[in-house]
Amino acid sequence: MADKRIRIKRQSLTNRIFNPKHVMVYATIGVFLLIYLFGALMYGDKGFTTIRTFLNMFIDNAYFGISAVGMTMVLITGGIDLSVAAVASLTGMFIAYGNSVLGMDPFLCIAIAMVVGVGLGALMGAMIHYLNVPPFITTLAGMFLARGACSLISRESIAINNAAFDALAGWKIYIMKLVDGEWVKVKPIAFVNFNVMLFLAMILIGAYLLKSTRLGRNVYAIGGNEQSAKLMFLPVAKTKIFVYAFNGFCSVLMGVSYALYVKSGWNLALQGGELEVIASAVIGGTLLTGGVGNMLGTLFGVMLKSIIPALITFAGNLLSWWGKIATGLLLLLFIGIQRIVVTYSARRKGSCR
Amino acid sequence: MPDKRILEMKGIEIQFPGVKALDKVDFDLIAGEVHALLGENGAGKSTLIKCLTGVHHMDKGQILYDGKEITPTSPQAAIAMGISTVFQEINLCQNLTVAENIFVGRQPMKRGKRIDWKAINRRAEELLLRFNIHIDVTRPLDYYSTGIQQMVSIARAVDVRAKILILDEPTSSLDEKEVERLFDVMRDLKKTGMGIIFITHFLDQVFAISDRMTVLRNGHLVGNFLTDQISKIELVRQMIGKDMDVIFALKRPTVAEGAPETLKVENLGIAGRVENVSFSLRKGELIGFAGLLGSGRTETAEMVFGVTRADHGAIEINEKPARIRIPVDAIQHKMAFCPEDRKRDGIIGDLSVRENIALVVQSRRGALKPMSPKEQLDLADKYITMLGIATPDADKKVGELSGGNQQKVILARWMATQPEILILDEPTRGIDVGAKAEIQRLMLELCGQGVSVLFISSELDEILRCSNRVIVMRDRCKAGELPGETSRQEDILQVIAEGSSLEEDA
Repeated sequence: MADKRIRIKRQSLTNRIFNPKHVMVYATIGVFLLIYLFGALMYGDKGFTTIRTFLNMFIDNAYFGISAVGMTMVLITGGIDLSVAAVASLTGMFIAYGNSVLGMDPFLCIAIAMVVGVGLGALMGAMIHYLNVPPFITTLAGMFLARGACSLISRESIAINNAAFDALAGWKIYIMKLVDGEWVKVKPIAFVNFNVMLFLAMILIGAYLLKSTRLGRNVYAIGGNEQSAKLMFLPVAKTKIFVYAFNGFCSVLMGVSYALYVKSGWNLALQGGELEVIASAVIGGTLLTGGVGNMLGTLFGVMLKSIIPALITFAGNLLSWWGKIATGLLLLLFIGIQRIVVTYSARRKGSCR
Repeated sequence: MPDKRILEMKGIEIQFPGVKALDKVDFDLIAGEVHALLGENGAGKSTLIKCLTGVHHMDKGQILYDGKEITPTSPQAAIAMGISTVFQEINLCQNLTVAENIFVGRQPMKRGKRIDWKAINRRAEELLLRFNIHIDVTRPLDYYSTGIQQMVSIARAVDVRAKILILDEPTSSLDEKEVERLFDVMRDLKKTGMGIIFITHFLDQVFAISDRMTVLRNGHLVGNFLTDQISKIELVRQMIGKDMDVIFALKRPTVAEGAPETLKVENLGIAGRVENVSFSLRKGELIGFAGLLGSGRTETAEMVFGVTRADHGAIEINEKPARIRIPVDAIQHKMAFCPEDRKRDGIIGDLSVRENIALVVQSRRGALKPMSPKEQLDLADKYITMLGIATPDADKKVGELSGGNQQKVILARWMATQPEILILDEPTRGIDVGAKAEIQRLMLELCGQGVSVLFISSELDEILRCSNRVIVMRDRCKAGELPGETSRQEDILQVIAEGSSLEEDA
């Protein structure tokens, strides 16, 4: 028997493509394309389809995206982290206060923020795992702690004026095109900045971790069934602590990225930002119950959340809270799709075979 | 083949607070044998296994593995030495693919520190092929049946180069065909020289697959027997320590000529779940429901009791049409239902025996007429004595009782409502032989008192022993009805087998 190699029919391509777990990502991409198409038809003449508009979407939302990378991993384990925006805000305060008031090097401030952010994340992860405190409560405490620390440092907005920091904020790569054998900037001028590069790099790192490392697969296993993961002798404690620490790292990067974007620190910056981040991940197909999600989905989740304010800007006469309404509707739509997919696959399994 | 002992456990003693869990127990395992470890609940089987896998530490004794003395310190250490365990519940992740479930935590890596997905899928496929399982390993685990999932967990256990495989009640959620397939796998593994320790409550399976057996009782070693030199009755006697003639003395109920129909079900069904089930049940009669897992047995019971609402068909109770939409309707019609998953749907583990027994009686009286603690206690004491529930007193938490006693508490809860129709869904699953016999005896006694019983079970011998008639379910439909007295197991299997096939086979 052993020498006769039997070919097993793997599932067909269509089956794999329409795997319920991927459907949500397709839905996100599909809805994004639809909205983009709508924008192109409505405001194409006003420049909606230019590279500049497209890239501005990234520039204006990269900091959320950076945090969404860590958040996706947390959500896949079946957890949640409400502290991200507060930690980011604290990072901004460290940089602004450290540099403008204490005269420290901003990059040293970032390093200190890193230690604090990653440390807080690891601490929360350890509490969640060893003390069995629900992630919601643990990270809520982390959020109050970080937000409180912000106000302790200063209750005023502090501007950041540092040459090196400004240089990093102003660093950009222009999009060029070849005209008559010569590279020229596209018109209207379009570029990516450090934040966008950082966001894309984090997406790639996140995707590598989730798809190609044991640690990443353990994240999925824990989200699928933590008890089983323990009985398969996977390093559950280590993985969960890593995930929250990594998310702390992403929160600090969001803070750096936001500071580069607004060039200041403010104790009330990014209020409610944690929910925006969670919304991006969920719209990108990450299940709040854990076990399902990926970086491609999160990338498009962030893009989909960013295209709406862009569209509203082009509409001109609409007020910005329409953005919130649209986000709310999108979230409802995607949570609806998730439920349908989950029940559909359950039913398919239950049906007579 | 010379007998090579891969494992010897000598004079194992483990002391738990207040009890000696194991007292001078010897156990040995020969390469290439299936060795059944038997005993009632609490006999010390799992303690012995946990001692071997490093969960518990022995106070006295010696473990020789491959001739060398070892002291396992943790399950991980045991696995590293080649001692793998597969538990009763499937401890895998439903959201991962089959292949990944086998390899998660020890995935083959490519250079550059990347998981080698191709290798994972290829090796998983080869591994399952060895077990004669032809499935697409790139599909998520939850696509496949419990039986296949159990095989996958065994594949995971075996692939870590195990020399000893411990199967702890692996068959309790499998149907007969899946059990057969598991046995084929076990026979294959035997040939490779692996030693298999098999723990189960199903004695038929012990006789079907094992070479030797070790029997424990109350933490003591009773004996070590060769399977072909011991009879089933003798084995049961060894396990229970007293004559088990009671289980063979059980008599199926006698239904009086012209007894009225208490329950008549006609073309009852829910589209897509279970279709067109018809049967009737007479006063004092016991009907057995046989069939594979998922064949529609539980669905039928739930429909009759109003747990799920039927969308077609009719129910008559005592020859009058009855509408049963929710369980309360069924309770009003003097029905009672002990569900399949007693831990989830039956007992309330944190409440006392007294509260659990009084539950339905109280709910029938309504919240405005609470039973006094005295009334509750009288009720509970009455049934504790009547059913022989082994509990120190009525105020012990039900969750702390053994499985058989939990089942008796549920039975008591419903008996307290004086039901006319009793539906029992797998009441004997996962409880030991003695308790099984007790439950069956009680069930038959109730029939003698005029209660009509629907008895769902995966164990054909108990169905055939107790039922007046057997209804066989297949593919969510009623597939046939057989007389209980004259049918044999093969007759039931015949009905189940007709027109069904294992769809996972290539």
